[in-house]
Amino acid sequence: MAERYHPQVIEHLVRPRHVGELPSPDGTGESGDSACGDVARFTVKVEDNVVREVRYKVYGCVACIAAGSALAELVQGEDLLRAASVTKEDVQEALGGPLPSGKEHALTLVLDALHKAIEDHFNRRAGSMLVDGYGGGRGTGKKTVVAAMSGGVDSAVTALLLKEAGYEVACVTFRLHDGERGSRSCCSPDTVLFARDTAHRMGLPHFTLNLKELFDRRVMQDFVGSYEAGKTPNPCVSCNAHVKFHAAAFLADRLGFDHVATGHYARVGEGPTLARPVDESKDQTYVLWPMPQELLARTVFPLGEYRKTEVRKIAEDRGLAVAYTPESQDICFIPDGNYRSFIRKKVAAEPGEIVDSGGEVLGRHAGVVDFTIGQRRGIGVSAPRPLYVTEVRPQSKQVVVGRKQDLEVREVRVSGMNWFLDPSEARAVQVRYNSVPVECEIEDAGDGEWIAHLPEPVAGVAPGQSAVFYTGDGQRVVGGGVVSRSRPKATVESGGGRAAGDIE
Amino acid sequence: MSTPVYLDNAATTPLDSRVLEAMLPHLGGRRGNASSLHASGAAALDAVEEARASVAAFMGAEPGEIFFTSGGTEADNIAVLGLAAASPENQHLVVSRIEHPAVRQAAEHLGRIGYEVSWIGVNEEGRVDPEEFAAALRPDTALAAVMWANNEVGTVQPVEELAVICEQRGVPLHVDAVQAAGRIRIDLGSVPIATLAISGHKLYGPQGVGALYVRRGVEVRPTVFGGGQEQGLRSGTHNVAGIAGLGEAARLAAEELDVRVAHEEALRDRILDGVCSIPGVRLNGHARERLSNNAHLYVEGVEAEGLVLLCDAIGFEIGSGSACASGGHKASSVLLAMGFDEQEAFSVVRVTVGKDTSEQEIDGFVEAFATAVARLRELSPLYAG
Repeated sequence: MAERYHPQVIEHLVRPRHVGELPSPDGTGESGDSACGDVARFTVKVEDNVVREVRYKVYGCVACIAAGSALAELVQGEDLLRAASVTKEDVQEALGGPLPSGKEHALTLVLDALHKAIEDHFNRRAGSMLVDGYGGGRGTGKKTVVAAMSGGVDSAVTALLLKEAGYEVACVTFRLHDGERGSRSCCSPDTVLFARDTAHRMGLPHFTLNLKELFDRRVMQDFVGSYEAGKTPNPCVSCNAHVKFHAAAFLADRLGFDHVATGHYARVGEGPTLARPVDESKDQTYVLWPMPQELLARTVFPLGEYRKTEVRKIAEDRGLAVAYTPESQDICFIPDGNYRSFIRKKVAAEPGEIVDSGGEVLGRHAGVVDFTIGQRRGIGVSAPRPLYVTEVRPQSKQVVVGRKQDLEVREVRVSGMNWFLDPSEARAVQVRYNSVPVECEIEDAGDGEWIAHLPEPVAGVAPGQSAVFYTGDGQRVVGGGVVSRSRPKATVESGGGRAAGDIE
Repeated sequence: MSTPVYLDNAATTPLDSRVLEAMLPHLGGRRGNASSLHASGAAALDAVEEARASVAAFMGAEPGEIFFTSGGTEADNIAVLGLAAASPENQHLVVSRIEHPAVRQAAEHLGRIGYEVSWIGVNEEGRVDPEEFAAALRPDTALAAVMWANNEVGTVQPVEELAVICEQRGVPLHVDAVQAAGRIRIDLGSVPIATLAISGHKLYGPQGVGALYVRRGVEVRPTVFGGGQEQGLRSGTHNVAGIAGLGEAARLAAEELDVRVAHEEALRDRILDGVCSIPGVRLNGHARERLSNNAHLYVEGVEAEGLVLLCDAIGFEIGSGSACASGGHKASSVLLAMGFDEQEAFSVVRVTVGKDTSEQEIDGFVEAFATAVARLRELSPLYAG
């Protein structure tokens, strides 16, 4: 062997601490797989946020056996926040110094198994939250915050800014789906491992929660279902509405923490409501509109006060490894960006007709899920002028195409409202991500539906998208909802009724 | 702490005190270069030639067929590369999959510079099939290489049969006999092997010295150049003390071979009787056609490194598979060739006794081994027991 183990490692091999499995643990975590050669399993008993008992088992090299023993010894009897802060370096120090080269994976392995056991503890406590979402608890007036951490630069700087502002910070990373890089193996890069390293380097505790069931039900199934229904969904909106803030609030309540924080570019304005961030080019108020107001009241958005360039600089100045990570994907569970092939894997495509607004058949298509309103490419019908999808009718399997001006609408019907302020304050509406609010007049249509009348027509408003209302100065969110349907200009002028196949 | 019990004789054997005696004059008082003309040089040369005679006698060869090297690895390299260089028109090799890296990597090197290598597999017991071997030989085969006994699992190959096949087909056979030497009687007068490598420190001689046998009439081109020592095949000033040690070690091995083998076999079987009654522990390799000193064990649910270091901590030194393979976390190619999967290949240890190992030591080991296995299994999430 090129390098030898420190005697402290051998000491742990000969006299390993806390070996075994607890008979009825509060949490069990396993990391690695036998194909990599190493497997670690931790069981924990947690009471009053204290690790009362820990047991571990390892199949693997001596470094893994000793690291498991040292880690178990470090966290036994410790406060959960302290246990979740134990770093690879702490374990290494307990083993007498650096491990021989090539053995560093042992530290990651045992730490991951312990963290999964703690995650399992919280997941068990979460109960129906995994399916239904979490209501939220009450604050205690302390400067404590749970910061959601994705592994990217924004969330890392968020945690750092909170720490520097004097908050007691606990970081949390959510397991949302199986599409994460390397989530199946201890040997490949893993966003959770990366986020944990980032938190630990800042000296912060790191937790994980498994939200796959909740995310599947409230985000992914909704995403697929919307396409089937001919709508254009926004999965980030669904996640903010039902998953992210609820889970962070759940953990905050378990830890006795007051606040939650994310790396969104937004501010909490008077109301409380969502307010525009300093960096308006990164504004994310549009995707945050469904946040329950009681959760917003305990939320902190530190990045709302910074420009993105400043955030990157902070990360660089503080030496955060995340500083050079690329911008995150639009849709996290479709890393290649090809959401049509994603949908196609989930639902059988049924062919149908492509028609014009007069009902004349212009061609055939392979499935309505391939089309969204405003789409120009890939229609598959040749025409002297560019054709746009103006309507998708899933019931009759028809895709309606027309000219660009056929996309223009003068009224947008919105339902599923979440109001922060009195609806009468709404003066402008934004109907697409990466666009700007346009002037509107709002009308209560009854049954929870609202109509935004647009003095100037707007193109490409698709059912399923969010419509977010802003105050007259454009700085604060009044409320938001989901576009149920929009009325083309021509239809308004002709005074015609609902188009065939239109759905609610 | 008392002296640990040494059960890793396949990695290296302790230096026999009689061998040390034979070396000391060349380390202390004397000072000659065996190539010098003066009296000191002549004395050194005498020692080298005396050793050559005893190494030749040890393997049934002529002194002129023995070439001293810096060890087994160099002997293997000179043979493989030198046999290939001697027939440049032939660009094909036949090599077993279980060769020591000294042969395997030399063959891989030739593969990278244009040679075609036919790798011959082994069965579950680690034995090469002579029929498969014969079928792989071609008119353009420059050399074949099969080790006499495997350094990891200890399986002995049907080398006599392979040598006859090669002689009939006109292909030189190189045999790595580093592990076999001193444990199997080698008679090159009756086995038509072309070249054969041995190492001093595997037969109670010093480290850093070995020998290559080259049958008279077989051409091996030099791959080491310089002062022309060893008939120009291995240039470099003679390691006189080492060579004298190797000579004495070979002389003693020839004399004591039968006694040593009987002693080692009895102790090896005593180990197997003791440890194979532990559930999930079994012998790897061939049950009978194996080295007298080698007990290669599979231990279910336990990784080798922990077992080796835990045994070490309680006073027993054993090997993890092959000493050379234990540096990196890579499964042994020998075990993979025998059909082990990756995880199984990490769960093996090699226990090798020596001529000086005692019964009491073995009994102590069996007890310590059982304890270590039990403790590691208690730790293992993969072993249900």
